[in-house]
Amino acid sequence: MTTAVAAKSQVRVAMNPRRYLGDTWRHPVARAVLKAFLTIWVTTTLTFLLIRLMPGSPVELKIDELIQTSNGSLSYEEARAIASSLFAINLNAPIHEQYLSFIWNLLHLDLGNSFLSSGTGVTSIILAVLPWTLFSVGTGLLLSFVVGVGLGLLAAYRRDSLLDRVVSTGGSLISSIPNYLIALLLILFLGVQTHLINFTSMRGAYTPGMQPGFSLAFIGDLFYHASLPITIYFLTQIGAWILSMRSATLSALEEDYVTAARARGLTDGRIRTAYVGRNAVLPLVTQLAISVGLIVGGAAIIEQIFAYQGVGLRLLAAVGQRDYPVIQGIVMLTTIAVVVANLAADLLYSRLDPRIGRAGGATG
Amino acid sequence: MPVLSVRDLSIDYITRKGPVHAVRDVSFELEKSETLAIIGESGSGKTTLAVGLIRLSPRGTKVTSGEILYTKNGLTTDVRTFDDDDLREYRWAEAAMVFQAALNSFNPVITIWEQFLDTARAHGMKDRQKVRDRADELLDLVHLDAKRVLPAFPHELSGGMKQRVLIALALMLEPQLVILDEPTTALDILTQRSIIDLLRQLREKLGFSMIFISHDLSIAAELADRMITMYAGRVVEEASVADMFYRPRHPYSVGLLRAVPRVSGALGSVASIPGSPPDLMRLPVGCSYAPRCPFAIEACRAADPPLVPVDTPRHQAACIRWKHVAEVLGSDAEIPVAEKLA
Amino acid sequence: MTTAILARPTVGQRLLGLWLASAGFLRLLSRRPVGLAGFIGIVFFLLLAFVAPLFVPFQNDPSLADIYQTPSAAHPLGTDFQGKDVLNQIVFGGRDILTVAILAALVSTVIAITFGSVAAVVGGRLDSAILAITDVVLTLPKLILLIAVAAILRPTGFVFLAILLGLLQWSSLLRQIRAQVLSLKERDYVEAARSLDLGIVHIVFREILPTMRSYIAIHFIFAMTEAMYAQVFIVILGLVPVSGSNWGIMLYFAQGQGALYFRDSIWYILSPILAISLVQLSLVSFASALEDIFNPRLRGSA
Repeated sequence: MTTAVAAKSQVRVAMNPRRYLGDTWRHPVARAVLKAFLTIWVTTTLTFLLIRLMPGSPVELKIDELIQTSNGSLSYEEARAIASSLFAINLNAPIHEQYLSFIWNLLHLDLGNSFLSSGTGVTSIILAVLPWTLFSVGTGLLLSFVVGVGLGLLAAYRRDSLLDRVVSTGGSLISSIPNYLIALLLILFLGVQTHLINFTSMRGAYTPGMQPGFSLAFIGDLFYHASLPITIYFLTQIGAWILSMRSATLSALEEDYVTAARARGLTDGRIRTAYVGRNAVLPLVTQLAISVGLIVGGAAIIEQIFAYQGVGLRLLAAVGQRDYPVIQGIVMLTTIAVVVANLAADLLYSRLDPRIGRAGGATG
Repeated sequence: MPVLSVRDLSIDYITRKGPVHAVRDVSFELEKSETLAIIGESGSGKTTLAVGLIRLSPRGTKVTSGEILYTKNGLTTDVRTFDDDDLREYRWAEAAMVFQAALNSFNPVITIWEQFLDTARAHGMKDRQKVRDRADELLDLVHLDAKRVLPAFPHELSGGMKQRVLIALALMLEPQLVILDEPTTALDILTQRSIIDLLRQLREKLGFSMIFISHDLSIAAELADRMITMYAGRVVEEASVADMFYRPRHPYSVGLLRAVPRVSGALGSVASIPGSPPDLMRLPVGCSYAPRCPFAIEACRAADPPLVPVDTPRHQAACIRWKHVAEVLGSDAEIPVAEKLA
Repeated sequence: MTTAILARPTVGQRLLGLWLASAGFLRLLSRRPVGLAGFIGIVFFLLLAFVAPLFVPFQNDPSLADIYQTPSAAHPLGTDFQGKDVLNQIVFGGRDILTVAILAALVSTVIAITFGSVAAVVGGRLDSAILAITDVVLTLPKLILLIAVAAILRPTGFVFLAILLGLLQWSSLLRQIRAQVLSLKERDYVEAARSLDLGIVHIVFREILPTMRSYIAIHFIFAMTEAMYAQVFIVILGLVPVSGSNWGIMLYFAQGQGALYFRDSIWYILSPILAISLVQLSLVSFASALEDIFNPRLRGSA
């Protein structure tokens, strides 16, 4: 009898939510995931508040507009009903219910409908342009990483040589100049002044009329159109990779295990890859995932300058057209993408570095 | 022929303010299966010397003169003449160096097995099974469980285990010469004991020559046949272990011995050597130990004393007053470490 | 005797100290040519943006006859799409941009210092809360949010803009300050100050923060570069109502009016690009020289 009571009270203690949360908080992976959700939640709430509560809120503006364009045939309630479906917000209910239904719709991937083409869901609009941004940004990022890391390693091995100085200074120079300025300079000098590159033909994600598919011609065309944005992403980021890899390599070269490896007669090549390179690049891999978040913002202006139909350009178009549901949708989606990328970075690092067990994370 | 014969080796660090003479005219010989201990304070040049023996000196270090003669199967070559490929063969297959603080001698991101494999492959052993067998054999020699150690990452092993693995790895290619830099520093006292015992066992079993560097005299007493004491980059005394502990002739060696407290009996007087080692860029004229030496006279500051034989031919000391030192010690029976050897 | 030790330095002594420190600093800087160049660049542009406009008359008359003129004696950098002198616009164009950049950096630095110290000093739940908020802000996609917020709020005054930009940047410095204050909290001289009953604000500002001068200065400069980037970013995209003329607005018009494609008008678009780029380069070079100088380990090898 007493044992049953004791067992029950033990169970109750274990189920105490505060202690459970406390333990969860200590586990780094769970903590990272929790933080990710927190960030997403914060952004969605912020967006919700901005849209709904700001003076002259876009929602109210839309209602007014609907009423005006209908020349008074729409009542306020009807207009509000239309607006709420556009925004994925139920405007009739009190605010906290609106908020909850907003979140509910979100979880069902319903981001409302675009203002302009009120049959088109925001989700489908975004999905139509997302691949282009991912393609160009991803390729640029990967290229700059691979080349940057290679150059950084080389520069460190040939420390203080001409190559080192050129690569390091060049890298830091280019990365200090804003990417849109580099883009404008590129157009200015390669297109306008010297007519080296035919910019107008490169507008858009692909040549209109071309049959999309996995054909070589189409893929070649994709690269052709994306080449300028990719070049810009490549140039603006390579400096950072060069410098980080260079300094990481220099530190790794001073480690005892490198001297010990040489004492064992290992070849320079093997030491460079498995001993120095691998150790140096490890922290940079997390940086890679985090950079996704940083590039996405700058991509908008690059897409604008080169008329490349990605998410950034779509966002700017939506801004110009006051298409608030689309703006809302893109902001949230981008945030989620960035947060997920950061989370992936954390988890990736803990898997790549054997010193950090499964319970570890880069930012702990 | 001795396995290793070092003659007048000098190594400088090149700095912006001028060369630092880290190792000056060092000469010694090492016979087959002999163990030599190199003792000195930090900054005495002992590690620079050891690293110089396999020509692994860091950037900015230069061997300015001397020969490192290595003999195997009757053939003698000067290590200084080796090119990069020769050196890579020489290192580990002939002379294996185990570094101080084995804590960081392993690549942290690959397993111990892979590091064995890397070493084997670098010296032409490509058959994985053979390497695996050899690794098992070696780890068994050092009393470790291969099944547990090989798949592990370095951070998963304790300091003592890592030191053993390093020793096992060092013996992989059956080198004639094993150099150990501070093999027991940074280990707790029980582990030190086990490593010292291990080294003794392995040496008996496999018969390699050993050089180890330490500031710890007791390990010299346990393992070494001969010892040299270094001060400010020079060899100041060279003798058999017994001669060194019972009949030291250089004031620095005496000072070192005096500084070791007695294990048994009354506390007695423990003296540390007053002062500090000289700045190697601005060495005083004459004997570099003179500023701290209780026996120094005017003549000591005139010229750097050469190594001269004292008592027996195989015992040398770089002191012009060695006879006086002998007299002083003869009457004073308080040489603590001598009792440990009895 | 004790009063002499605790006496506050006189104005004269402070000025002398400042003078010696600056001279020493310049000497260190002179050994790093890139950093020195950056420093000179910053000084030059500060003078250009804030002092030159006091001496140069503002030319604001559009003159259709002079559209897109090539450089000449009257117009050293040519004219723009309205016939206005480009050089004049460059001289007057830096003021807004640099003011906003400095203000934004100030805002983010103040937030970081305040909340970082508070988090470290108070500890407990408040600390966790501030850290959580900081982490969240750190991962937000700042430029995308900026686009959205600019679209919805349509900021006009540049103080508002500066505050907005500053609000996005304080995260990394806050963490650094918090870490430093935490570690220094327990040190002896803080104990000594506490025993003299000097109050926590005094302790933070007089004892701890001076050691963080380097972090703060470097952060300030990088915050300026980020603020400049973001500013020009939203201006070029036309997300902010255009008022007056600054380098960013010049680029907005240059792009919009097709100046990009007129061979003669190259200076109209090139000069703001160069101006902004040079300011950014100067800031970054100076900041890396500072990092070098403040890192004692590296100093000897320079």
